[in-house]
Amino acid sequence: MSSSIFPKHLIPAAISRRDVLRGSAHGFGALALQSMLAQAKSANPLAPKQPHFAGKAKRVIFLFMVGAPSQMDTFDPKPMLKKFEGQKLPASFGKVSSQFTDGSTPILSSPWNFKQYGQSGMWVSDLFPHLSQCVDDMCFVRSFHTDSVVHAPAMYHVHSGRILMGFPSLGSWVTYGLGSESDNLPAYVVMPQPEGTPEGGTPCWGSGFLPAVHQGTVFRSGANPIMHLKSPMAPDRQRRTLDLLQKMNQMDAEPLDSEMAARISSYELAFKMQTSAPEAVDFSGESAATKSLYGLDEDRTREFGGRLLLARRLIERGVRYIQIYSGGGPVSIQWDAHSHLKKNHEKMCGMTDKPIAGLLKDLKSRGLLEDTLVIWGSEFGRLPMSESGNGRDHNPHGFTMWFAGGGVKGGQAIGETDDFGLYGVGQRYPMRDFHATILHALGLDQNQLWYLHNGRNEKLTDFGGSVIKEVFA
Amino acid sequence: MRRALSLGLIAWLGFAEPAAVLTKADEKVLARKSWWSFRPPVRPAVPAIADPWVRTPIDAFILKSLREKSWSPSPELPRAQLIRRITLDVTGLPPTPAEVEAFVADRSANAYEKLVDRLLASDAYGERWGQKWLDVVRYADTNGFELDLDRTHAWRYRDYVIKSFQQNKPYDRFLKEQLAGDEIWPGNHEALVATGFLRAGPEHLVGGNTDKEMDRQEVLVEMTAAVGGAFLGLTMNCARCHNHKFDPILQADYYQLQAIFAGAKGADVPIVTPAEKAAAEAAIKAHEARVKPIKDQIAAIEKPYRDKLKAEKRLLLEPKFLAALDKPKEQRSEEEKVLAKNAESQTNSTWDEVVNRIGEPDKSRRIALRRQMHELDLAAPPPVAAAYGVENMEQAPVTHILKVGDHKMKLAPVPPALPMAFANRVEVPAGVAGRRKALAEWLASPEHPLAARVMVNRIWQSRMGAGLVRTMNDFGALGERPTHPQLLDWLATEFVAKGWDVKAIDRMILLSSVYRQARTLNAEKMKTDPDNKLYWRAHRRRMDSEMLRDNLLALSGELNRKAGGPPVRVPIEPELYELIFTEAEPDNLWPLSKDTTEFSRRSIYLLNKRTVRLPMMTNFDQPDAMSSCPQRASSTHALQSLSLMNSAFAQDRAKAFAARLEGSCGKNQACQLKTAYQLAMARTPRSAEIALAEKFFVQGGKLEEFCLALMNRNEFVYLP
Repeated sequence: MSSSIFPKHLIPAAISRRDVLRGSAHGFGALALQSMLAQAKSANPLAPKQPHFAGKAKRVIFLFMVGAPSQMDTFDPKPMLKKFEGQKLPASFGKVSSQFTDGSTPILSSPWNFKQYGQSGMWVSDLFPHLSQCVDDMCFVRSFHTDSVVHAPAMYHVHSGRILMGFPSLGSWVTYGLGSESDNLPAYVVMPQPEGTPEGGTPCWGSGFLPAVHQGTVFRSGANPIMHLKSPMAPDRQRRTLDLLQKMNQMDAEPLDSEMAARISSYELAFKMQTSAPEAVDFSGESAATKSLYGLDEDRTREFGGRLLLARRLIERGVRYIQIYSGGGPVSIQWDAHSHLKKNHEKMCGMTDKPIAGLLKDLKSRGLLEDTLVIWGSEFGRLPMSESGNGRDHNPHGFTMWFAGGGVKGGQAIGETDDFGLYGVGQRYPMRDFHATILHALGLDQNQLWYLHNGRNEKLTDFGGSVIKEVFA
Repeated sequence: MRRALSLGLIAWLGFAEPAAVLTKADEKVLARKSWWSFRPPVRPAVPAIADPWVRTPIDAFILKSLREKSWSPSPELPRAQLIRRITLDVTGLPPTPAEVEAFVADRSANAYEKLVDRLLASDAYGERWGQKWLDVVRYADTNGFELDLDRTHAWRYRDYVIKSFQQNKPYDRFLKEQLAGDEIWPGNHEALVATGFLRAGPEHLVGGNTDKEMDRQEVLVEMTAAVGGAFLGLTMNCARCHNHKFDPILQADYYQLQAIFAGAKGADVPIVTPAEKAAAEAAIKAHEARVKPIKDQIAAIEKPYRDKLKAEKRLLLEPKFLAALDKPKEQRSEEEKVLAKNAESQTNSTWDEVVNRIGEPDKSRRIALRRQMHELDLAAPPPVAAAYGVENMEQAPVTHILKVGDHKMKLAPVPPALPMAFANRVEVPAGVAGRRKALAEWLASPEHPLAARVMVNRIWQSRMGAGLVRTMNDFGALGERPTHPQLLDWLATEFVAKGWDVKAIDRMILLSSVYRQARTLNAEKMKTDPDNKLYWRAHRRRMDSEMLRDNLLALSGELNRKAGGPPVRVPIEPELYELIFTEAEPDNLWPLSKDTTEFSRRSIYLLNKRTVRLPMMTNFDQPDAMSSCPQRASSTHALQSLSLMNSAFAQDRAKAFAARLEGSCGKNQACQLKTAYQLAMARTPRSAEIALAEKFFVQGGKLEEFCLALMNRNEFVYLP
């Protein structure tokens, strides 16, 4: 963060002849300019803000697996499934209806073996040869639940705390609460799967009723990472046009008018973004070892690894919140394994395992993991029963997400599901607890982070959740 | 109260025991009904102030409160700026240079009155008001959620709203039509279309085993919230899970209000004669016949690839599935039937698996055929005309109070009824018909404490920039109290006395001295009254997203003033196209009309798709049509600057603006500058501005670049 949100080179220009005249006539001058700059600063909704209390995490990277990975095939081993393979779920479970199945299909055991890893002995399936090396930094919560068996509403639940569309997303609340540490990159960056968008669509990163400045900005690799970033005009022409505009805008500005000052400053920020965003996506300064760590040297991991490396580069440059999607568009590029579970999860894990492990290792070696909260999760998990003989239907009743970094105590698993991995048992965690926990990591109190909308103090956690204290060291 | 309610319930439900009994806690909640907004407005006397500044009763109220602080109002805006402000305000479009010149030159005593009346009579007045009302009812042309399908007939409601404001429909009629048009005026198409109000909110429609009862509950929640926000100005949905925390509304009240809609269901009701219907259906059939051969050819191209994939996948089947599949159907056991079905689904292929297999020349042929099919679809005849409205069911399902709003946790049943805290409640019929009519008539009764206040507050806010009650949709205890309660009540009673005449109130506000004030800056007053609650100056107002887009098109001379009809898709950025969700083949997700002048229509006629928002519009705070938006936000950030400088839309408008200037001025630079300022700012350029521009051109700046800068200038983007 530079010392002033108002670009330095504008300061002399801002003392226009008019201001000087006014200064001599009414005693304004330098004092008036200072107050104008202060107002531009206070008018910037993304100016960094103090958290409610000291939180370990300063920023978030949320890795969202679109379509729902299966918990009993990844991080929540269920040996009981082998015993019941091909049988019906015990009647004691009652009727379990999901989006496409009615609970009558036979149990399907996991096609993968689980092993214990790390000092902590956390269980991980064979799907994650790389990520299993990082378990001592990862905290698994195995009994999250969402309120819908349908993708989009459940995605909205994870992103915004409601199964309805149109509420501010987590990243919007975080930038609303903390502002941004970057003055030339978006505060809240979103990186969807190139093949398509998650089922919940753009409202997953919408700002709902929060001001538009808090919406997520889609960031792409390539020369034009942000929409409308690049001017079709030659650089000197653009600068000249911008200078003309700023001179005219200064004619309209008056010392007491913070909004005009903020608007003048927004054009300079936009101009700066034009160089800083392409600089962020330029990997030429990264070593071969780093690139390899993220899997940039392999076909199947190159794309996702590139986005994760970009994420690291963006948080280094002060971006507050990054939402990354694995999966989107055609069903074949989602984790939504209604059939062919084995083929699907091998493909999706193959694309993401090494890059995610690379991200955790890279962040750790650079000292960034301490204050960066990494989250891995999805809109729900999958059922222990089969669909189409070799797939699984949706299960919002109990599924795993994990946290790393940002003050999280790694090498532990919190909460559990029953012997079949169907329902959370004991302490079950709703999304409002998930959100309260993330806010807590950032030093934000869920009850102090509110916005008055149509007569109601709206909060991310609505009625309020409980911070899962065990997550933290 | 307790006895009356219980008896009513017993009579209605035939229950032996009272279904709902007011507890002490409930009575405490209801005791809050002494809150100002629950008491009918009493018409105050207009303050007697002899001052030439007082042109309307409004001015007397405002001047009185200013004088109490020994403050005086701001001077009147100069004429050229005044006409720019009021024309933008009332029509959403800029004044023409000729209009500005005529008004500035008009020395007659009633020059301003004539201007106001001309603007109020314009069609654009209805379009501008229409947008405001559509914001309030969160209108969109699609359902929202993942599929976000088009609501083919919803636009008729949009046109109905615009027309209602154009014709200055009495607000009580407007209200009744939207809530119960089908019940009160059966057979009247316009009244039926109006009930689209009840379906304007988002609706989750998706395949699979969804919880129908939950889906229905969400529909009812949307209907109830709409009435609470738009007409009552109360946050009724705060009482969905518990008694209202601040207002005299019980959870039972919420469900009693919801019960009023329990018998109403969304329906696309045909509004055509049998002959028209037959003609439309014939046209559709003919179209399908034209498309079918192309579809058949595409299927024929795909078939061998699909079959080959199937054969390959068959080889990969586990033995038990394969065995079941190989067995003749009639010989399969129950278990084998399931296995065979699974085997079928395991050997099915998704569209992308098939398409990725297709090689040349089939690939190109298929692409060409699909293009041909999409071209034909562009010219598809419209569906049989229908109202996107509601109709009553045979019988209304019983409504229950739901514990924490959960449809699985039913508590006591409740009858349809109006909130208990209101003194002037009317009987709501127990049968399915007439419930909404009772609600509408109650709201539109002259004694209603909220309906008129809420609407005059909207009119005031739309002209002044902030409401007398700043929380437009919340007149309850958590909302702000009115800055001028007497003025609010005077306006509300005047509104009703004039026959709920929107234009009359609007006109009075526009004619007031308060409205004509300049936006002066004053350090002391800004410190004491930073929010301008005393209206000592005009509020700062930025163009909203629609006004900005429409103005850019007006500036460039491209604006197409065609009104009404099905919503229009405009070209979108490829990056945005990629974000349209589909699991199907992503071609033709955004079909564009061949007639490119359609792309220059006013923003209110553009397709409002809930999950695909135009980036420039959202950057300038266009609401997401998910909840009622009574007042636009006005944020300032770098992405706005990027879209207004760099987007193809902005760049193209700058070029067209430059071409327009060259068209009327040739290479005469002085003329170009003068015309540009007249069009964009409703004034001629100052000498410093001319010097600045000349220097820019000398340095090699192009006219279109100058135009782009002008379009981005603060003075252009903000109302005077």
